[in-house]
Amino acid sequence: MIVQGTNYRGDLRDRGDVVVVGTGAGGGTLAAYLAERGWDVVMVERGGFFRAEDFSQREEEAMAAFNGRMGLDATVDNAMFLNYAEAVGGCTVHYWGDSFRTPEDRLELWRKRRGLEWMTPEELGPHWDAIERELGIHIVEERLFNENNRLVRQGCEALGIRGGPVPTARVDCIGCGWTQYGCAYNRKSSQLITTIPRVSKAGGRIYSDARAERIVVEGGRAVGVEGVLVERGTGRARGRFRVDADVVVLAGGALGTAELLLRSLEDPVVGRRLYVNPHYFVFADFGREIDNVTGIPCAYEVHGFRRVRVRDGREVQPGEYEPSEYAGGGYTMLSSHQSPGVTAAMLPEVGQAHTERMRRYRHLGSLMSVIDEENPGRVFLDGGIRKTEFRVRGVDALKAVDYLQNAARIFLAAGAREVWIPDIYGTVVRNEAEVRSRITLRSVQPNVQFCAGSHLLGTAPLGADPEDAFASPTGEAHRVKGLYVADGAAIPTSVSKDPSLTIMGVARWIAAGMHERLGRAGA
Amino acid sequence: MDETGLASEAVRPGLPPGVDRRGFLRTSAGGAAAVALASLFPSGCASDYPQATLDGVELVALSAKEYAVMRAAAEALLVGVPVPPSRVAARVDRVLAQVGEPVRGDMKLVLGLLEHLTILEGKFRRFTALSPEARRECLLGWGRSRFALQRGAFQAVKAFVYFFAYIDDATRPLTGFPGPWPERFSIPARPVDFGEVV
Repeated sequence: MIVQGTNYRGDLRDRGDVVVVGTGAGGGTLAAYLAERGWDVVMVERGGFFRAEDFSQREEEAMAAFNGRMGLDATVDNAMFLNYAEAVGGCTVHYWGDSFRTPEDRLELWRKRRGLEWMTPEELGPHWDAIERELGIHIVEERLFNENNRLVRQGCEALGIRGGPVPTARVDCIGCGWTQYGCAYNRKSSQLITTIPRVSKAGGRIYSDARAERIVVEGGRAVGVEGVLVERGTGRARGRFRVDADVVVLAGGALGTAELLLRSLEDPVVGRRLYVNPHYFVFADFGREIDNVTGIPCAYEVHGFRRVRVRDGREVQPGEYEPSEYAGGGYTMLSSHQSPGVTAAMLPEVGQAHTERMRRYRHLGSLMSVIDEENPGRVFLDGGIRKTEFRVRGVDALKAVDYLQNAARIFLAAGAREVWIPDIYGTVVRNEAEVRSRITLRSVQPNVQFCAGSHLLGTAPLGADPEDAFASPTGEAHRVKGLYVADGAAIPTSVSKDPSLTIMGVARWIAAGMHERLGRAGA
Repeated sequence: MDETGLASEAVRPGLPPGVDRRGFLRTSAGGAAAVALASLFPSGCASDYPQATLDGVELVALSAKEYAVMRAAAEALLVGVPVPPSRVAARVDRVLAQVGEPVRGDMKLVLGLLEHLTILEGKFRRFTALSPEARRECLLGWGRSRFALQRGAFQAVKAFVYFFAYIDDATRPLTGFPGPWPERFSIPARPVDFGEVV
């Protein structure tokens, strides 16, 4: 049953075997697994419940309805916009559906440095198999490549750069181009239309518009969650809720989970690290209209630069080289589509010059970085308000410059007339000499250009060492019994790819462990 | 090393590129000073800043002064864009009322600083009293400032103005953007059984 807190009158009290805070990639996956194995599942979600008919394909309405802080959240110095969702279905309501398994080298890193011995392709494989089956994940069809995607592929092929079509979570997609503002046709396999209905039909209760404020801990054990039911649109409190359970699972995303923990517990690890996979955007003017409106935003991923390369030519793991040895790489690129409001916010120049750039909106191709950052930010409370700090710094700034240069090269090889780096200097490049001379570190200083983060991870990480990890390798908190974390917050570092399938796989593995160890918790 | 001399800084882990430890403190101190300074500015009343009244806008988050600054910034930034600056400023006001802290407080602080710190760009009148050309120069100067904080203020104003202008259907002839997919209403959504919904 789905209960919309915005419609609820009075205070609410419920009890389940498990209460799951958050309904996105981690929460939805875990909850469906447990609900279908007999657990009495209660879910609370601070955002609203929306259906296909609510998705109007208008960017401002979508952002106001289900993006965190209406899509206007940023780090304290405004250098990075933070893109995350608050709705039943979580980030999967607005994600692009890119569904990559965690690269083996990243799993190896987590095994070695975080003591997560179970993180092997063999252990996670069956969970990924199941999720891929349930969500209809498959390599994207050629018909969903729009011209921007094809041009990126063409540029990569001309330069011998490795890339490929993405695995995508959608079934019979009609390619309307509006995936990031909610799928109006129920073709994208978000948690909203996959796991949430399964939980509901298995007897679970999903409370939307329910903002968790505190984890209830008694005698060192989590026993429930309490908070307020809010009016959708205004955020005004309508009543209070409390859900008691034998097990509490946090899955409100890296920011939401960290915020709830910071409000509830004293823990030295929570919020200390925040990974975001900084997204820098590059625009290419092809001098003619190209289709970057329909299809799906990202059908093609450039992955030839994912690993860091050092000066002697070796590919190395993060932290296993001196920054002075850096020679390139440490990021992937996604072909990208942005609607006019967001594009206008990003493009350089002001006044007439900006207007002239916007006149070429339909001529623009676009690429977006997924920087595999090694220097994380942090989340903290300031006067009771959640805030974040993040700066692209150290070797990550060099990765950003390397990305900007290679993105420009790809577009030039695909026939772009000019490539725009959307910095305050209005940097434009038309050839290799300009790529080298004009795209420099000055473009990636904080607040010199629009930068965003949407792969938010690592604020309550898993790990064997309690000094360095919030939760043990099983997902249970080191310092509070019965409290689990199963979302982006649990992922120890950047994944180096879109993390959604990593989060789902880890959440399902944690759910399987809970079920195996605890049986049906209430029994 | 590039023209701003960042290369050696950029490979030093733990600090932002281009910011040495003293610079970082300077930035932080600058931030604190800006907040302190903003608190000294007159808040302005509707009679000093009648623009919202003249526009017929009933303010819900911004003060009359802050509305006037946002409107003046929109007027300066939007050239040849078929969206009235008053509509952009009114949208910002409504959204800030809804989004709450810290976004609202940060934007109000930025607007206060912008109104009174034009002197940083060699201007001796308040932002709202400058010509649109002078306001553009002022904003660009902030955008190119050596201080990240000042650049951040510029990016915030620019992003708000352009976002809330270009979501407007009136800009579609300019951009060629078709808007919501035309077939949207003719293709039904696949049915999903959510169970009971209340």
